[in-house]
Amino acid sequence: MGTKDRYERLREQATTSERDSSPHTLLAVVSLAISLLLLAPLVWVFLRAGEIEFGRAVELLTSDTTVSVTLNTLALVTGVTVASILIGVPLAILTAQTDLPFKRFWTITSALPLVVPSYIGAFAFVSAFGPRGVLADLLSPLGIEQIPTIYGLHGAILVLTLFTYPYVFLTTRASLLSFDGTVVEAARTLNHTRWEAFRRVTLPQIAPGIAAGALLVALYTLSDFGTPAIMQYDVFTRMIYNEFGARRLDYASVLSMLLLVMALGILAVESRLSAGRDGAYVSSGSRRPGLIRLGYWKAPALLFCGAIASLCLVLPVGILLQWLLRSGTGYSGGGFTFDAAYAWNSVGLAAAAAAICVVAALPIAYLSARGSSGFSSLPERATYVGYAVPGVVLGLALVYLGLRYVPFLYQSVILLVFAYVIRFLPQAVGTTESSILQVDPSYIEAARSLGYHPLSAFRKVVLPLVAPGIAAGAALVFLTTMKELPATLMLRPTGFETFVTYIWLVQGAGYYGQAAVPALVLVGLSGLSMLVILRREDTS
Amino acid sequence: MTGRNATQSRRRFLALSGTTATAAIAGCSGILSGGDGGDGGSDGGTGAGTGQLSLSDFRGSGPLVAQRDAPGGTSIEELPDLSGELTLYLGGGEGGLYLDLIELFEQLYPDFSANHRLEASSDLANTIIEENEAGASPADVFMSIDAGSLGAVANAGATASLPEEALSTVPDAYQDSEGRWVGIAGRARAIPYNTNQISESDIPSTVQEFPETAALENSMGWAPSYGAFQSFVTAMRLIRGDDETMSWLQAMQDHGISTYADEFRVSNACADGELTAGFANHYYTLRVQSARESSPIGLAFTEGDAGALVNVSGLEIIDGTDNADLAANFVRHVLSAEAQEFFATRTFAYPMIPGVAPVGDLPRIDDLNPPDINLSELADVAGTVDLLRDAGVL
Repeated sequence: MGTKDRYERLREQATTSERDSSPHTLLAVVSLAISLLLLAPLVWVFLRAGEIEFGRAVELLTSDTTVSVTLNTLALVTGVTVASILIGVPLAILTAQTDLPFKRFWTITSALPLVVPSYIGAFAFVSAFGPRGVLADLLSPLGIEQIPTIYGLHGAILVLTLFTYPYVFLTTRASLLSFDGTVVEAARTLNHTRWEAFRRVTLPQIAPGIAAGALLVALYTLSDFGTPAIMQYDVFTRMIYNEFGARRLDYASVLSMLLLVMALGILAVESRLSAGRDGAYVSSGSRRPGLIRLGYWKAPALLFCGAIASLCLVLPVGILLQWLLRSGTGYSGGGFTFDAAYAWNSVGLAAAAAAICVVAALPIAYLSARGSSGFSSLPERATYVGYAVPGVVLGLALVYLGLRYVPFLYQSVILLVFAYVIRFLPQAVGTTESSILQVDPSYIEAARSLGYHPLSAFRKVVLPLVAPGIAAGAALVFLTTMKELPATLMLRPTGFETFVTYIWLVQGAGYYGQAAVPALVLVGLSGLSMLVILRREDTS
Repeated sequence: MTGRNATQSRRRFLALSGTTATAAIAGCSGILSGGDGGDGGSDGGTGAGTGQLSLSDFRGSGPLVAQRDAPGGTSIEELPDLSGELTLYLGGGEGGLYLDLIELFEQLYPDFSANHRLEASSDLANTIIEENEAGASPADVFMSIDAGSLGAVANAGATASLPEEALSTVPDAYQDSEGRWVGIAGRARAIPYNTNQISESDIPSTVQEFPETAALENSMGWAPSYGAFQSFVTAMRLIRGDDETMSWLQAMQDHGISTYADEFRVSNACADGELTAGFANHYYTLRVQSARESSPIGLAFTEGDAGALVNVSGLEIIDGTDNADLAANFVRHVLSAEAQEFFATRTFAYPMIPGVAPVGDLPRIDDLNPPDINLSELADVAGTVDLLRDAGVL
């Protein structure tokens, strides 16, 4: 429990000296202003829902369809979250704490699936495992005519898990790397078995890290549209989209409200699980535990890592290459010529979103990490709500509000980037906050005792130390922005196409061959930003 | 592409399309037929690679297009030049094919450019309505792949009037009764089927009989989230009422039917033998045939019911546009002989002007027996989505 004590001590020091000081008040005001600005568009959902008669609202909320879609959504979120933990945590332990061969390689392949947009993953799985897919073609000469369908709940859980578990992997691995390994050794000297030591010492320490990753997975699943749609599984996002298509905005807004309530529920569960989460992030210096020797388990462990990497990376890339090669006559899409400008548009948007997120995340993360009251983490929690809002709902809200209140911004890059910031800021806040927690507050004390203004103390002392965390946050925002589809479709300026809008259009028209190259380039570019995220570990 | 040869190529094009029009007027069909093949003497320039335009640039190629007569109707040559910048909202999916046509116009007229926004038709209709309610839409023209979304925008009062010259060339059935939108290409509901598994004569002539056809048990496919399918169900509701439509949907499910994301996939599944038959728009089968020449896929039509619905891609001019004249001229260009030939031979759609024939051995649009409904009424998608959901289809 050494970490905890040490942390409490530091926190005590920090809070006694910084409490009520004006920088914190200023910080609180700035953070609150940012979170209010980000949440403002969601007011639209309530405005629209408020136009419905009470009786009609009750009828909509209690209809069979609403109930069954709610249950479907809960089943999907639970399934994906649990499965992501079951894959992400063992991978994190294997790559962080064991003598697994080629650890660096497996670390990269375990994190990399995050760069594959889940809708491309879903198409790849349907191509591979769907009726008359690659697998069916391989098996039919063996006399196997029927394979279990990929469509439905299990297919949606499979695909979403494979492309979101890296969130759990990354956060768990970060906690594993930062927690005090000597505690485990102490437990072992007290005659605990390895499993007991893990359960009683390691697990409580890394639980907040797991919970943080699980939260991102759960909220992503809640907001994802493409995968459930392709897997033909009815969830809120798909219904909201259909209702919008049918121009029934009242029902769409009621469903959106329900979805927001579910997001708040997930946030509440997560904050209970991670009540002591701050402790997990505190750096313990270099006291790493001794490596766990895998022994006979080496082969199964390698097999596990290899199987996951094959499903998440080899399979989708293989299917994309197949699309490319199969694109003969009839597949060469008319009118859809790829223009290099689309790539620059994507990169420019993603870079702008990343830059703004980093700047906006700093005060919020700093307040949450160093603030003294329970109130100080409120802006941080608030930003997660935006992350849970499906792009369709956010797009609608911004179309509506943009047209009425800021028409000069409608269909402008500014409004589009604003949407990205609402959706992806929490990713930057999370990584920034965990880096700030790893900086000993007494450094600031020292700087201030040397006569520095708090802001310049922050700039000179804290900023260089948290820079890798900020870079990782920027990279995460960059790659999720590159992948974002629905808000991009709805809010982009006319004539302004990006990688994903192009891929979406050509695959929608059945021209898979045309989609292959941009999809591969998209995955490659996003992969580069993933290297930034992993590089952070080298410096920590 | 619109650079230095533009003037020259336009002149070249005009000379050629002039010939085309003359030929058509003279009734000498056949002189220019198969302009993309043969000795190439009549249309020249195809291999020069200098961006010159001829009828073959508008016309597609392949087995379905061979031996076509020259198109009749108003030639582009008879229309005023397009000039200026047009903002076009373009219904997505195969609407992307229409971009090729717009690019041809841009090649032909260096002063013309179209700024386009491609999304699903229903999404764009909603966007235009939302924009219109807030004051004005940035769109000058909405080019949609179904009459339902055109009707929705028109019903929301977001359209301006269309030029009489354009409306007069299109049969009444394929334009709005108040002239707020006009069809540019026809899309017939049809039954793609696998010719190894069933013969055309075994396919029922009305959709009502499908659930009782033993040969189709557990071997059919549909794409209920696809706009064209929803228009078909909306048509059935208009003709037979909600209760009967509901019974039909349930009967089809009891009979065993697989769900697909879109109708191109349904049609491919028929060619693959994964399905015996399906519900899809007619041109998907032609696209499959064109891409995979020996594939065992055929096309059947039902008669007189919702299954025989002929929906249209169409155009409307958006209220509040600053480019009303350009928009009107653009509409006339899309209904020209050359553009209609483009729709027929490149998208395999039904042309909307009488002078241009559908491709291959498709029945003439007059030989189809579509139901007698007002296409604007297809805008009631909401009721259809409800019904599909209550039936457990969506």
